[in-house]
Amino acid sequence: MRIIANEFAKMRHLRLGLLTLVLLSGVVGLTAFRGLASGMANDLSDPAGFAWKILLAGLGFSAGLISPLIIAAIASRQVEAEHSGNGWLLSETSGVTPGRLCRAKFAALGVLVTTSTLAQSLILVAIGFGVGIASPVPVEQWLGYTTAIIVVNLAVLGVHLLLSAVIENQLVCMGIAVIGLFIAVFASALPEWLVMLTPWGYYSLVVPADYVGTDLVYLDIPYLSVLALGLAGAGLFTLITARFDRREA
Amino acid sequence: MCGTARLRDSGDMDTVIETSHLTKRYGSRTVVDDLSLRVPQGCVYGFLGPNGSGKSTTMKMLLSLIRPTLGKVQVLGQPMTRASRRGLLRHVGSLIESPPGYGHLTGRENMRIMQRLLDLPQRQIEWAVDTVRMRDQMGKRVRNYSLGMKQRMGIALALARQPQLLILDEPTNGLDPAGIEEIRELLRSLASSGVTVMVSSHLLGEIDKTATMLGILSEGRLLFQGTRAELMAASTPDIIIESSDPRSAQSILGQQLDCRSDGRTTRITNADDGSTAQAVSVLVHAGIDVFEVRRDEQTLEDVFIDLTKGGGL
Repeated sequence: MRIIANEFAKMRHLRLGLLTLVLLSGVVGLTAFRGLASGMANDLSDPAGFAWKILLAGLGFSAGLISPLIIAAIASRQVEAEHSGNGWLLSETSGVTPGRLCRAKFAALGVLVTTSTLAQSLILVAIGFGVGIASPVPVEQWLGYTTAIIVVNLAVLGVHLLLSAVIENQLVCMGIAVIGLFIAVFASALPEWLVMLTPWGYYSLVVPADYVGTDLVYLDIPYLSVLALGLAGAGLFTLITARFDRREA
Repeated sequence: MCGTARLRDSGDMDTVIETSHLTKRYGSRTVVDDLSLRVPQGCVYGFLGPNGSGKSTTMKMLLSLIRPTLGKVQVLGQPMTRASRRGLLRHVGSLIESPPGYGHLTGRENMRIMQRLLDLPQRQIEWAVDTVRMRDQMGKRVRNYSLGMKQRMGIALALARQPQLLILDEPTNGLDPAGIEEIRELLRSLASSGVTVMVSSHLLGEIDKTATMLGILSEGRLLFQGTRAELMAASTPDIIIESSDPRSAQSILGQQLDCRSDGRTTRITNADDGSTAQAVSVLVHAGIDVFEVRRDEQTLEDVFIDLTKGGGL
């Protein structure tokens, strides 16, 4: 716990709070804007909850557009401090191995990312009620999507933590994040194996609602695939950080 | 120094570091070769050698940051291995490669990170900061420190655990003469408070005045280990003979000894007292007047350069 507390202490002056706020407000703002632009205001009283569908579809789109880059920036800043401050060696000579340090970083940054992702959903539900959507919240879809996107965001966070730890030049890591963003946004144009093999592809797989023809409908979230991503991600992260622990300085 | 739980064991605690046949190879390249170090308790051990001689690799093996290819390391009387290092490192402070410190944080915030990492009491942090005389700089961000301040900050981070052993890898690198003197003074004061200090350098002059024990490394091999006086005694300066006919003296003595003449004196290399007496006797019997016989004056720097150049005493 002390190592995790240290990770929160290292966040001072790194503007990670600001980045988390950008992640939150960016997704919420873009979703709300997209909702209004889609004429959500005209469907507030629709008993079938069309306005909620618009909001949820917008949330899926905005998360894929904003999260990959911001999460990469958060991971990169937190790890870069270790490279520039000789922090890996400082920790190792105090008995904390690099892998353990990475796991502590994941725990600390995971709290930020999860909180921000949860807050995105809650704030958008509040906005929905605030603007006067009359129908009840589609709890199942909303909860399912929020859970799935948390897993995807954490998987992306884990990948970027490892990349930033291995590659000292953080510009390269941000370049990879741009490729990730491309995969997240244009997944439908990419081979399915590529989409399934990268965590960024899951932003397009867990879309909660979309147009099928002219109708906006709720889509089934592939929970099994998301579970597989979570399990494989956790396993790989543990395995790779365990290798870091055995690495020579 | 404040009181702290000392590491106790049944091992030989007169020796704080002991290595036996320590070797590190990367592929076919041997970086450290069959090193047997002994660092006595309470000394300042100057670990000397040219750049690339294997000092940093050795220090990393002492801290178990890299694994030896062969040989063993004992620190504070216990084997230093990956399994034991976490416990041992609570008693060993170190500064390896560049000085550590998170640049975006202040000195105080950096010390707080070390305090939390090792669960240290506040008084130890205060002591470490005071020891390196950084109290007035604690509110500044580390990225705004000078190199000397960063080095002192790094030493404070190593000292915060109140170590029994401090391992410093070239702590004077890049410092101006005033900074070097400050570090020297700090090492002396630490040693006088009971901390064993092992400090590496590629310049003898930087630690000559501070070290009470010297270990000299070249191309991964330990060429000498002992006190300054032992080092001087172990090297044999040339015998210089002033005589009435230096050239004839050289041709007579050259049949039995390694000698040369500069036209004014005759110089004999590697001559002990017996062969010196014999040389004088030979010259006198040959009818050459001997005016003066003396050993060449040799500085410690000369001995160090000869050692690292020639590969042995």
